[in-house]
Order: sequence, then C-alpha cells, then structure tokens
Amino acid sequence: MKQIALYGKGGIGKSTTAANLSAALASQGLNVMQIGCDPKRDSTRMLMQGRLIPTVMDLVRERGDAEISREDIVYNGFMGVRCVEAGGPEPGVGCAGRGIIATFQILERLGALHADVVVYDVLGDVVCGGFAMPMREGYAEEVYLVTSGELMSLYAANNICKAISRLSSRSRSTCRLAGVICNAKNIPHEEELVAEFAERIGSFLIQYIPRDQVVQQTELNKKTVVEFVPPSRQASIYRELASRVLENRRMDIPAPLDIEDLERLAYEYSP
Amino acid sequence: MNTPRDSGCTLTGALSVTTEIDGSVTIVHGPGGCAHHNFSLFHTLCIGRDDPRLPRLLSTDLAEKDIIFGGEDALDAAIRKAIEKNPSIVCVLSTCVTGAIGDDVDAICRGFHGIPVISIPTAGFLGGGFRDGHVQALISLSSLAECGEKTLSVNLVGEKTLEFERDEHFNEVKRLLFGIGIPICTRFICRSSMEDISRLSRGSCNILRDSSMCEVGNYLKGKFGTPFIGSFPVGPGGTIRFLEELGAVFSLDVSGAVAAEEARQERMFEEFHALKGKKVQFRDSLGNMTDSEVCSEIAESVGMDVHPAGQPLTVPDPFPVGTEGVRRLLRQWRRACRA
Repeated sequence: MKQIALYGKGGIGKSTTAANLSAALASQGLNVMQIGCDPKRDSTRMLMQGRLIPTVMDLVRERGDAEISREDIVYNGFMGVRCVEAGGPEPGVGCAGRGIIATFQILERLGALHADVVVYDVLGDVVCGGFAMPMREGYAEEVYLVTSGELMSLYAANNICKAISRLSSRSRSTCRLAGVICNAKNIPHEEELVAEFAERIGSFLIQYIPRDQVVQQTELNKKTVVEFVPPSRQASIYRELASRVLENRRMDIPAPLDIEDLERLAYEYSP
Repeated sequence: MNTPRDSGCTLTGALSVTTEIDGSVTIVHGPGGCAHHNFSLFHTLCIGRDDPRLPRLLSTDLAEKDIIFGGEDALDAAIRKAIEKNPSIVCVLSTCVTGAIGDDVDAICRGFHGIPVISIPTAGFLGGGFRDGHVQALISLSSLAECGEKTLSVNLVGEKTLEFERDEHFNEVKRLLFGIGIPICTRFICRSSMEDISRLSRGSCNILRDSSMCEVGNYLKGKFGTPFIGSFPVGPGGTIRFLEELGAVFSLDVSGAVAAEEARQERMFEEFHALKGKKVQFRDSLGNMTDSEVCSEIAESVGMDVHPAGQPLTVPDPFPVGTEGVRRLLRQWRRACRA
C-alpha cells in the first residue's frame, strides 16, 4: 500500500491536483482512496460529481462515534475511487486539529484505511499537531508539496518542510518528502524557480502542471479533468504525474531555507 | 517535587472562594475529572470540619466530541441546569482544555440575566497555580459589590478558606479589631452571603490575609479607592504594629489598645517560663534550618537560647496569627521541649 499526502498553501490547487491524481491512478486500474483532511470538506467533490459527501465529523456530531460504520463515511466516486472527508467543527469554534486525529482513529477502528494508493489531501498550513497527523507513523510516508512560483506559496511549502524534517527525525518515523509539484500560476520562469527551490530544500520537481482554462471548465461541470476531457493535454499531464508518483523512489529529509534565502531565490527569478 | 503552597491547580484556588458563597453553584467547564478531583478534596475538608454540606459543583463533563466542536453548548446547558437549582449565584470556572480550544466562556455567561452568572478564568496551563485561582476568583467576584458610602469598618480580604486554623486566624483579627472599636464590614470571601459581598465597597480599609493577596488589594484600591493593610498580624511585635497601622489609617488613638495588648503578651510569655534557657533551633515544615525573624523575637521574649545544637522546633506555614497564634505556637514548642 502506498500512502501519499499533499500539502501546500491554501488555494494553491491541492484538491484539484489530488482529485485528478486519484482519478488518473484509478484509471490505471489501481484501488485508490482519497481522504480530505480539511474542515472545508471539498477535497473529493470533483470525484463525487459535485456532491459534498457527509463528513466523518458530521456523523460524530449527529450520532457519536460508536454508531458509525464504514459505509457511512466511505463513498465510491469516479472509477471506484473511495472518498472520505474528515470535516470538522464550524469555523471559529472547537478544535479542528483534534477532529483530524479523531477521524484517523475512527478510520483505523473501522479498518477503512486500505487501498493500493491512499491520497491524503491536507489543509494548507500545518497549524497544529492534528494537521500533522497524516505524516505520523503508519500513515503517509511520502509527502508531496504543491506550490506555485509565488513567494507566499513557496513560503508555505518551506514551512511545511519544517514539519516534515522534524517528524522525520523521530526514530520510527518513515515520513519523507517525495517531491515538489508545481501547480503553475503562469508567471515567467516559474518552472525553473520551483525546480531550483525543490533542489535547494533537498528534493526535486516531480511535475510541472501548467495553468489551463480546462480545469475551470471541468470543475464547473463538477468533474475532474481526467474524467471530463480525457484526451486533453491537461489530463495527460495528470496521468503523467500519476505514473511518476508510482515510480518515484525519492524519499528525502528536507532542509528548509531561511526566509532571506527564500526571498533572494524568488527575486533572482523575478521578471 | 517542590510543592509550594501557592502552586497546584488554579481551579482549586478559585473553588476555595466560590464554594464559600452561601447558595452558590460552581460549574467546572471541562472534563469530569477536573470537577471530581476537586469535589473529593472539598468534600473531605467539609467532613473534617463536621460540615455536612456537599460542595455544590457541577461539571460540563466534556468529552472529545465537545473539544472538537467546541464546548459552548454544553456550558450553556449546564448553566441552565444550575439555574434550575435556584442558586444565589452561578460561578463558571474554565479549565485547561476549554482554555486551549478557546471557548468564549465570558460571552456565554453574559447571555444570562437575573441570577448572576460570573465567569472566572482558571485555565491552569496558562501558568497559574492555586494562588492565581484564588486571586482571579476574588477579582471576578468583586464585580458583585454595590456602590455605597464608606463606613468606619474594615474588610478581610483573601482569607485562605482551606487553612486548618482558618477560624482561629479570623477570631484573633476580630478580637484585635474589637479592641480598637472597628467592626468588620465583610469577609471577602469566607463563609459569605451575596449580601456580604455586595457590601465590599463600603469598608474603609481592606486587611489582606497575607502578601500573596497584594494583587487583589491593589485591584480593589483602584476599583473602590480602598486602602489596604498587607497582611494579618504575625508575631508579638507584628501584632502591635498591626494595631498602630490601623490607628494611622483611621486616625484613631490606639495607645490604650496597644498597652493592653503588650500587657497580654507579657503575661503570655510568663506563662511559658518553663521554656526559659532552653537551647532550640528552628526548622521549616520541610525540616530545613530557618532563621525566622519572628521566631527569634519570640525566643528572645521567652528567654530561649537559639543554638545550632538545640532542640529542633517547627515553624508552621502559615504562621499563626496574632498574639493568640503565638500562644498556640508556644504550647507546641513547650510540648516539643517536654518542658
């Protein structure tokens, strides 16, 4: 079983990337599970034809955790991708991080965590221990950073490296940085910049995903690109990403940059 | 483990105040254990004092679900439940976990009218201990005082309600005040009613239990303009100074009371003539050598000889209050010296 997690700045396109990656992996005949670890609960929506599935936390709230079965929380989406949304409290109350931890405990108890590939799609910033849960022992071993060439996005990615490097220093930890995915905003020299960033932190650029109108169109049609326009260039890029992820053997402990170095790097590539 | 008296659970400090209010119900907003552990402690204490009452505590009894989704609804329900019991006041204490997840306890409490519902922030992980809970409770509850003209009287502020000799300390201060003709306006807060608390602003001087209550003294000074005396009196000389200090605050001639107290102390020292010439040394409650000034003063007055090889005598913490406190101490010491 391969378990991968996608982390990156909020709004950078993690869910789009994750859903298309899951769709492409499933299209290759693999048994795929995607787990949305964000209270916003929209990670799996495009795999579910636009449906917001009930979240684990919704059910805990309504029934208590003892009354939940696997069928209540796991939904089959495009090409049999099994979708789970952790969900969480209303914005501004309670503790969303604890909600993620509770979700993992419930998934474990129900024996729901098995597939050829499990894809964890995690909220933008690793704000507390709860959101580092997918990186802990027994869960995602391979973390992919999703970033564009914008400074704030690189800054967030760099911050997540800090969490990875701290967690990977623990004796039994198997969590490593597997690669950097550039989800482009189409700014000049973006691919070179993100590739350089990836190398500086001790990793590599696994895929450059150009910005394309087609993504917007397919999402308006409540589908992934891989499902809606399989012959498109964008779909083939996601399929390429899926193949590279499957073959990837890089497992690095990243060395985060300090803020000055990061800014200097972004400045070097600015137009 | 070093366990100074002022450390420990912030909740316990606040509960040592709220449970002293007649007809109060205290809600501990957190996991059941926080309330249970304190209930046991207070219940045991009540039994020890032959007080048949059960401490009136209510727990919001939070579980993981409440932590994830927030505990505010559980608190709202608990306050309603508390109000059904027709209390004089509902005190709401926060705990570590509700502090960590940021439940807005103040806002929930403000939503109730009629019976006072007072929020007392007591999340211990923020760095507080028992003393901070005690101080915080007094500061929060001072909002219940009604404005009124000052009268020739004093308030006793921050009595340590869990102290073994609580009543002896109180009676001694009362005796000294009686000697100079000053009544007690209110005890803030020890065996108090809501009416007692409402009189807080009318006392002309606050007598703090000890220096740990200084923050409360300053707060009340700012709020009601009431000056304070920093501590209940300790030791023979300290007791005389206490009377003189009160005299200064109230512009009273206390020379008669001072002379009477000095005579009382003289008689007391004579009562313990058997201790004269005894070689003694002083130890704190942990058994470490201490050179307590008050003890040296007492030793000198009785005629004991402080000597490194002397009979070890324990200096209690807290030190007994006033002349009568010294008398109780001398009785203990006389037993220790088998004199």
